[in-house]
Amino acid sequence: MSETIRNEHLAQVSLPVQGMSCAACVAKVEKTLETMTGVQEVHVNLLSGKAAVTYESNQAGVPQMVKMIQDIGYEVPEEEVLLTVRGMSCAACVAKVEKAVKGMPGVTLVVVNLPAESAKVKFYPGAVDKTRIKKEIQALGYEVSEKVTGQEALDREKEARQKELRFQTRNMWIAWPLAILVMIGMFRDMWIFPYFVPEFLGNVYVLWALTTPIAFIPGWQFFKHSWNGLKRGATDMNLLYATGIGAAYIIATINTFWPDAGFGGRGAAFFESAALLTAFIVLGRYLEALTRGRTSEAIRNLMSLQAKTARVIRNGEEVEIAADEVEIGDIVIVRPGESIPVDGEVTDGYSAVDEAMITGESMPVEKRAGSQVTGATINKTGSFKFRATRVGSETALAQIIKMVEDAQASKAPIQKLADFVAGHFIAGVHVLALIVFFFWFFIGYASFFSPASQFILSPYNLAEVGVFGFALLLSVTTLIISCPCALGLATPSAIMAGTGKGAENGILFKGADAVEASSKLNAVVFDKTGTLTKGEPSVTDVYATEGFIREDVLRLAAITEKPSEHPLGEAIVRGAKEEGLSVGDTDDFEAIPGHGVRAIYQGQTILLGNRRLMQQQNIDIGNLSKKMEQLEEEGKTAMLMAIDNKAAGIIAVADILKENAKVAVERLQQMGVQVAMITGDNRRTAEAIARQVGIKTVLAEVLPQDKAAEVIKLQEKGLNVAMVGDGINDAPALAQANVGIAIGSGTDVAKETGDIILIKDDIRDVVGAIEIGRATMRKIKQNLVWAFVYNITGIPLAAGILYPFTGLLVSPELASFFMAMSSVSVTMNTLLLKRYQPSFRRDQMKTSMHPTPQPQTAR
Amino acid sequence: MNDLEAKAARQASVVYTVLSLAITFIFLVITWVDGNTYTAVARVGGMVWVFILSMIVFMPIVIPVVKKRIMG
Repeated sequence: MSETIRNEHLAQVSLPVQGMSCAACVAKVEKTLETMTGVQEVHVNLLSGKAAVTYESNQAGVPQMVKMIQDIGYEVPEEEVLLTVRGMSCAACVAKVEKAVKGMPGVTLVVVNLPAESAKVKFYPGAVDKTRIKKEIQALGYEVSEKVTGQEALDREKEARQKELRFQTRNMWIAWPLAILVMIGMFRDMWIFPYFVPEFLGNVYVLWALTTPIAFIPGWQFFKHSWNGLKRGATDMNLLYATGIGAAYIIATINTFWPDAGFGGRGAAFFESAALLTAFIVLGRYLEALTRGRTSEAIRNLMSLQAKTARVIRNGEEVEIAADEVEIGDIVIVRPGESIPVDGEVTDGYSAVDEAMITGESMPVEKRAGSQVTGATINKTGSFKFRATRVGSETALAQIIKMVEDAQASKAPIQKLADFVAGHFIAGVHVLALIVFFFWFFIGYASFFSPASQFILSPYNLAEVGVFGFALLLSVTTLIISCPCALGLATPSAIMAGTGKGAENGILFKGADAVEASSKLNAVVFDKTGTLTKGEPSVTDVYATEGFIREDVLRLAAITEKPSEHPLGEAIVRGAKEEGLSVGDTDDFEAIPGHGVRAIYQGQTILLGNRRLMQQQNIDIGNLSKKMEQLEEEGKTAMLMAIDNKAAGIIAVADILKENAKVAVERLQQMGVQVAMITGDNRRTAEAIARQVGIKTVLAEVLPQDKAAEVIKLQEKGLNVAMVGDGINDAPALAQANVGIAIGSGTDVAKETGDIILIKDDIRDVVGAIEIGRATMRKIKQNLVWAFVYNITGIPLAAGILYPFTGLLVSPELASFFMAMSSVSVTMNTLLLKRYQPSFRRDQMKTSMHPTPQPQTAR
Repeated sequence: MNDLEAKAARQASVVYTVLSLAITFIFLVITWVDGNTYTAVARVGGMVWVFILSMIVFMPIVIPVVKKRIMG
């Protein structure tokens, strides 16, 4: 639900906005919406194409916002949903449904058809959603289901991108062939062109006729958008293009038809400037349309995983239905090679499921009755049935998509500078163009103009240009080269790629700020139990005294502990079973509080407990005492065992380290990150675990409520701290840390607190999160440096700083080429992030060159 | 567009046009006093370009300010 009532009137909507192409468009939309009465806060994201608006619902409404956005030349696409409504019997029902739905904010059209039992609803996504509409109808007492599949959103997004691409392709086909003809015509008298270029092509009227369609067909979009914005008091990149193209075209036209007007005459008819300027800008738009969507590929990939249909058992029969019509409790049948449609619990059958698309785990996971299955994962080998437990927006995939979308819609702190600059740039650039014009008109032309003047990379001579034409050229070139497109794309494109890369690996960043903060981390605090360790005790050592066999000691200990409900006893029973030992039943059992247990098995009296138990029973433990101390030093709980009053051995139980914990800690230390462990356990146990994993800083005997205070202490030392722990139990510490990392949440990601959610229970993903954060920020910094360098060096060059010394000028078309290349190069640089893999993933890929696939045990 | 919005738009257009004309007039004055001679076309062309750029600069500044003042 996008509309969230915070107080009586405060509401928030997230409206999709189409047609924005640069940071200035963002600023334009933000500025326009901010001028609306009742609007409190506006955040627009260029790449996700969404405007998040916080407003007073009693003063402003969605329709006004949409109108404002449309007035400045952008589109707020409506969504349409076709519902099946069952239970309507008359026209009054139709009116009732229509009235109820129409009254919802953001709904623009409702058409209910009684005989067809359908309702077509048009609405603004972000203001209201399908679920709310369905609930509204259900509340009236009708049965309602959706007729369309989840694939629709994916198709619509693809369609919008293809539409833009088709539009810019058409513009390219018009602009480029004509622009090349214009260029050839302009240079007809030069080099070898006179030998093969027909004379008529050099005619100014022909050139004018060729240039006019370029300026007014592909170039029209810039005039239209800039005027729409300007009349609302908002400016964007289109205005730069429009003034540049317009000025070049008008001067060329005047010099063609009125050569004596004093603008330099026919020798200064810069048709190629207007034509190539438009062609390069259109090229930039085309390349942007081609590449920009690719940074959000992760979301599309996730969405494309959704199964379209599901086979369920209804009334005892197997029927195929749309995946989003599966209801909680439905029994779903999955065959080999099929995609699992929704989340659920296996009730029957056995198979291995590829969960890589959700968790990043490359090995198939074994599933049998009782195992959880996740929608969008692929069934590999066998058939099974499962009971649907989460459907629609509740599924793991839907939650992950939502989380990644939210993260991609947020802004990183580093973006603020770029936003500020880009937002104030257009007005600034026009002021600069004015200053440049004044300077070259009143001072520069008289002081420095030489008839031998030339454009860079052009044989074109400027001898005939007068003071106005010369000052105007420099002013226009400054406008063109100053476009901060690259600046606007630098951060959000990298954030989209980075969060997408995280999602691919089961690492979910909750926002762009989490990506940035994770890159700055220099300390990581791990919660011990359940994070570094498995969180449940396991048998670590079995020691038998002379005359006893190790297996017998373990087996008899397990038999003794079998009736016990103590976690240590359960660990021993589990340990024996894992070794394939038969665990029989005792003949008699007695728990001795504070000491241990006593059991009788096949005539043998077995004692299992601490030293006091042995002392009480006068059993000589001999050298077992030393062994016991050693085990206790290692943080293990050791239990003495005696059979028929004779010391038989020791069983040690401990919470053991998770697989890969040591590797992850080592890697973090190699990355220069300080690693600490925090636990409520006693210091000896904590230090023993820390030693095994290679952690030197141990914060032991810390109560859960004091963990946040320990994080503060580290932060006070100037460290940027990540807290890694259970997303629910460690919530205060996770919240206090610069980055809270909730590990091993499984697929119920929505419940988790923390800035980063790790789906898998793999410590190495903490390393992966930091690596992805750092790689993303590296990319952002590269992009920002490039964008700033481009603008900082380009503007003085365009303003003619070199001209007094070299007699060379940057032509408007060269400026537009640089401008187009700057944004394309930033996007291309960002796309390199798609090839990035966290170190552990690279290692996995290396080792899986010759895989021997073995399904993992069921979760 | 409601009445308040229309009023704001009208007032804003007066303000940014006057400011732009003022800058254009300054340009014109300089062409007379800076000691160089300019053709009428250079003078008029320059005035038109300065007026266009000034309008582009002032419109986005003036419109929100006037709107805020009138519409609150």
